[in-house]
Amino acid sequence: MSFLSIKNLHASVGGKEILKGINLEVGKGEVHAIMGPNGSGKSTLSYVLSGREGYDVTKGEIVFEGQNVLEMEPHERAGAGIYLAFQYPVEIPGVSNLTFLKTAVNAVRKARGQEELDAINFLKFAREQGNILEMKDELLKRPVNVGFSGGEKKRNEIFQMAMLEPSLAILDETDSGLDIDALRIVSEGVNKLRSPERSMVVITHYQRLLDHIVPDFIHVLAGGRFVASGGKELALELEKEGYAKFGIDEGASAAA
Amino acid sequence: MTTNENTARIVDTFEQAKNGLPGSWLAGAREGAIHSFAAAGFPTQRVESWKYTNLNRLARGAFDPLADIAAPDVNAWSALFIDGCDRIVIANGRVDPVHSTIGALPEGVVVSALSEAIEEIDPELEKQLAQIAPDEGAPLVALNTAFMRDGLVLRLSAGTVLERPVQVVHIVDSGDTALALHPRTLVVAGDNSEATVVETFAGAAGAGYWTNAVTEIRVGRNASIKHMKRQDESVAAYHTALTQVRLDRDARFSSVALTVGGILSRNEMKVAFEGEGAACRLAGGSLLRGRQHADSTTEADHRVPHTTSDQVFRNVLDGNAHSVFQGGVIVRKDAQKTDSSQSNRNLLLSSGAQADTKPELQIFADDVKCAHGATVGDLDKTSMFYLESRGIPPEQAKALLIGAFIGEILEDVAEGAVRDHLQSAISTWMVEAQ
Repeated sequence: MSFLSIKNLHASVGGKEILKGINLEVGKGEVHAIMGPNGSGKSTLSYVLSGREGYDVTKGEIVFEGQNVLEMEPHERAGAGIYLAFQYPVEIPGVSNLTFLKTAVNAVRKARGQEELDAINFLKFAREQGNILEMKDELLKRPVNVGFSGGEKKRNEIFQMAMLEPSLAILDETDSGLDIDALRIVSEGVNKLRSPERSMVVITHYQRLLDHIVPDFIHVLAGGRFVASGGKELALELEKEGYAKFGIDEGASAAA
Repeated sequence: MTTNENTARIVDTFEQAKNGLPGSWLAGAREGAIHSFAAAGFPTQRVESWKYTNLNRLARGAFDPLADIAAPDVNAWSALFIDGCDRIVIANGRVDPVHSTIGALPEGVVVSALSEAIEEIDPELEKQLAQIAPDEGAPLVALNTAFMRDGLVLRLSAGTVLERPVQVVHIVDSGDTALALHPRTLVVAGDNSEATVVETFAGAAGAGYWTNAVTEIRVGRNASIKHMKRQDESVAAYHTALTQVRLDRDARFSSVALTVGGILSRNEMKVAFEGEGAACRLAGGSLLRGRQHADSTTEADHRVPHTTSDQVFRNVLDGNAHSVFQGGVIVRKDAQKTDSSQSNRNLLLSSGAQADTKPELQIFADDVKCAHGATVGDLDKTSMFYLESRGIPPEQAKALLIGAFIGEILEDVAEGAVRDHLQSAISTWMVEAQ
């Protein structure tokens, strides 16, 4: 049985149809990469999966571990194990990273029927996970993402993922805007979180990321539909021949 | 009763009661003050500084400034007491000696209930009391001067540092009697002295009364006063308050005023810079719901060169609540190199809430920095989604964002019991919101 099953998904933003029939089956522990040019619907798919307001599903279904995802509120989806690493992490002035994370971790633990962590055990857990991602202690105390560099923000996204222990992680262009060192740290973090119990959907614009996070499957998204699917060799084809091979005019779809 | 009839009634009440008011040496000042009030009457919205706050209901209300009501069970209010403070408790307008505790003080420090301090003839007190905040042009201050009975007197001689905060707790629980309370706080900080003063106002749930407070603060050369206020009155009560501060050379004044109580409240903060190098930070905020109205009005009066003022005001409004911010900055002709900034932000949680915000800058010098900004908005949807996508339920996410928003007024307050005292009023408000 599929872990995540997306069938004939259509979604609109502001009355404009962006996703035009997405079909995707993700098995437990699998890593799927979704590649596509700007404007192909990559981020829309990630927001629809996580339940952002303003992204209207007009047709189709999303089933995750037997549950109808489209009927769940964003926090319920997180509780069920869905995690979205944002392309543009949000700054929350006045709320420290630690307070934010403690609230979040205990909220998802509660939703999963696990015992909440007390202050000491939470800090211990945060330090352990923080070390893996080379998160400086100072970043834990600062307000969420405020004054973070681009790389620190993305690292914080993966750190949160490590803390929230999702069973399905969606990484939305986690590599965009990262220099090679930051990319290495983030990818290593992601790779450490790979497990047979955890599936991932890695959304990216650049083939470069897939050198670091090697997927099991690759899908090419264009104009709101998958136009090609295959193994990791598909990334190499894309690199060599570009999106044009799949009949995609990058300039045209960027405008969409 | 019309407003004019009520003003006449208040003057009559004074005439009958004046001989029973404490501090015989104040009789002349009280007489002058009641005449000043009688001539002016209650402020109306025709006065620019009262434009957004309508006192009609208050001005017609038959509040009793004299009733001697038995003190309530003060123990029931002990959650308001800050640990490790020297404390004066004023219950129903009169000092409660049992619950007021004053520990050993450094030499040169006086902490006393006003009613006790004014029983003695004291030339130092005469020079300060009702002098720092003049009655002229301020009818409610005048009314306070006429009827003031109790409150706090804190005096610090030069070089004294008070480690423990001083707290004055005003509690009103007067049954069916609608009291008018006119508490007065006087803080005189000598050169190089330091202290923290906390004023806490609270009342029995649903009680209707009027607190009309005046706080006078003089900060000497290179001295530092921190002033905190928690206005947690009954939500049926009226609260009008003026704090007048005078800063000498290199003096520092930092204030946080938090409003959660009162059906109608006005918190006015006026700072006069009288010596070069002085600096102040005025922070304030309110958390309101229902039909509550809270007015924060400020005036930073830069009279001499090289002074700094910083104003930070935040309001969170639910239901049909209404907040007013009138941020005054005056930079006089000689006050070159003034550095002033002002920020007012308002968070509306419902469509019925309303925020009025008005910066009032009067600048007569040319080499100055005066920044100001104001915003009115609702909760940021992107932030809400970010928090919710991490598993945080919407109500909790909202509380985190509101806490962060209002928390900006506490930025300068060090961790500890005083901060906790303010924070607990915020937390209580949030819990009631859920």
